[in-house]
Amino acid sequence: MISEVKIYGKYLRMHLLSGMEYKGWWLMLIQVFVVVVTDPISTVLLFSRFGNIGEWTVAHIILVYALAVASFGLAESLCRGFDYFPWQLLRTGEFDRLLLRPRSLFVQVAASRFHLHRLVRPATGICAVVWALSELEVPLSPRNIAILVMALAGGCIMYCGVFVLTSGVAFFTVKGLDWIYLFTNASYQVTRCPEPYLPQALKSMFSFLLPMLFISFYPAATVCGWDYPAWPGYLALPAGAAFLGCALLVWRIGVRHYKSTGS
Amino acid sequence: MNWKQTGRASRSLLRISMAEGLQYRASAISGVFVSVFWGIIECVLFTVFYTYSDNGWNNNGLSLEQTISYVWLGQALFLFQRMNIDGELMDKINNGNVGIDLCRPLDLYTHWFVKSSAAKLGTSWIRSVATIGVGLLLPAGYALGAPESPAGFLCFLMSVSMAFILCSAYAMLVTAIRLNVTWGDGPTYILLLVSGILSGTYLPLRLWPDELQTFLYLQPFGGFADIPIQLYVGSLEPASALPGIGLQLMWSMIFIVAGRIIMNRKLHTIIVQGG
Repeated sequence: MISEVKIYGKYLRMHLLSGMEYKGWWLMLIQVFVVVVTDPISTVLLFSRFGNIGEWTVAHIILVYALAVASFGLAESLCRGFDYFPWQLLRTGEFDRLLLRPRSLFVQVAASRFHLHRLVRPATGICAVVWALSELEVPLSPRNIAILVMALAGGCIMYCGVFVLTSGVAFFTVKGLDWIYLFTNASYQVTRCPEPYLPQALKSMFSFLLPMLFISFYPAATVCGWDYPAWPGYLALPAGAAFLGCALLVWRIGVRHYKSTGS
Repeated sequence: MNWKQTGRASRSLLRISMAEGLQYRASAISGVFVSVFWGIIECVLFTVFYTYSDNGWNNNGLSLEQTISYVWLGQALFLFQRMNIDGELMDKINNGNVGIDLCRPLDLYTHWFVKSSAAKLGTSWIRSVATIGVGLLLPAGYALGAPESPAGFLCFLMSVSMAFILCSAYAMLVTAIRLNVTWGDGPTYILLLVSGILSGTYLPLRLWPDELQTFLYLQPFGGFADIPIQLYVGSLEPASALPGIGLQLMWSMIFIVAGRIIMNRKLHTIIVQGG
């Protein structure tokens, strides 16, 4: 286990150093920052035109949304390899080489890519969370920090699960993976809508199929003391882990099923 | 330069891309899923804002039904816009095959213009049509409504074809800028992102702050989606279709001329990369 962690660290260091060789590497940071900041622009503009929805102000929405985005960004940074897996490793047949090495497949695939600029998204997200909390006048007590960290960790694990699931399914489909977009960039758009007004079908889908609300809305509600039972706020980690567990199962089946592609 | 030859080559390029787009049906179907899902979330969001917000009356002449039609048409027209430069052209720029294309007896700008827009049309028309079809079939409240008037619908169709040309012209301008290999993807990406945001597919332009409305009407990117859709939902009367389409035409001309100038200037000093 420890050797796997060491290898993971070495991989990341290698990718980081090779990325820094490009003179314009910091330009990408700006680019990702622009993307991240402009994404919620329509929500902010809607609030400025229509005003608050009952008790929901722009800070409420930004808090929930930023939690989801930050955990997505973390997973994207740490598990980037899985994101590229279907295109870069599977279709080229490069995956055969990984299978030959006596090390964990998960670590090797997860660390096969790392881009520094991907960390801009979680960093911006966390800043937005802190801003929203100060706007809502919620103190950063140790309990609140613990809940938020658990939410981020759970969310990161859940989104890692999404990437692993994509890769697992890719063993069977090889191409045509656009639908996975539903679970990545489209999934956190749900948090732009205030939870009490969300249709029941979407609510169930994003609690039980993909435990989206457990890593964003419920922790936020517990931290701010909104009118909800407190216990779902603590469930981010188990919910994320359960999703990752299912995804790993699919991945396992996929690896078994794997017949080399490419040349 | 031989215009007749270029025209004939353009026609075949278009035919090839259409046939190619039909090959990837599975990818088109999963694309429709994503568009529809996105559209439904937007519909929910707008319904919540129109129904429960403090000043839901403040909608600048765009009713909830119109906004929901706007969402579906926006999802369909969004596919005309580029998120990145055409993959094939990008490869040519990066590995130096621009050299080969320059040897062909075709005008490079026209050749690439047709090639990239045909590729876009070939892959996206199925997805656009299917998304609109699903939008029409959804239960009332989330469904795409009928056009405001027959005249409005005609203007919409004209404006949509103009929008396609405008999108392609802008993409070509960005491609011409991208010929500066050393700049990398950053600047082009930001240019495309800005055009996407200001096109109205993020948020109907009418719902942006009032102070910006004049600017939003005159800026080029409204022609990508906002002008045609407003003609369809009737927040822009058929009478004001002519100025709207004129605006699209004017910006297309500007983009085409600018793209040509930048490309020609760049081609004088081009360094072909790779071997």
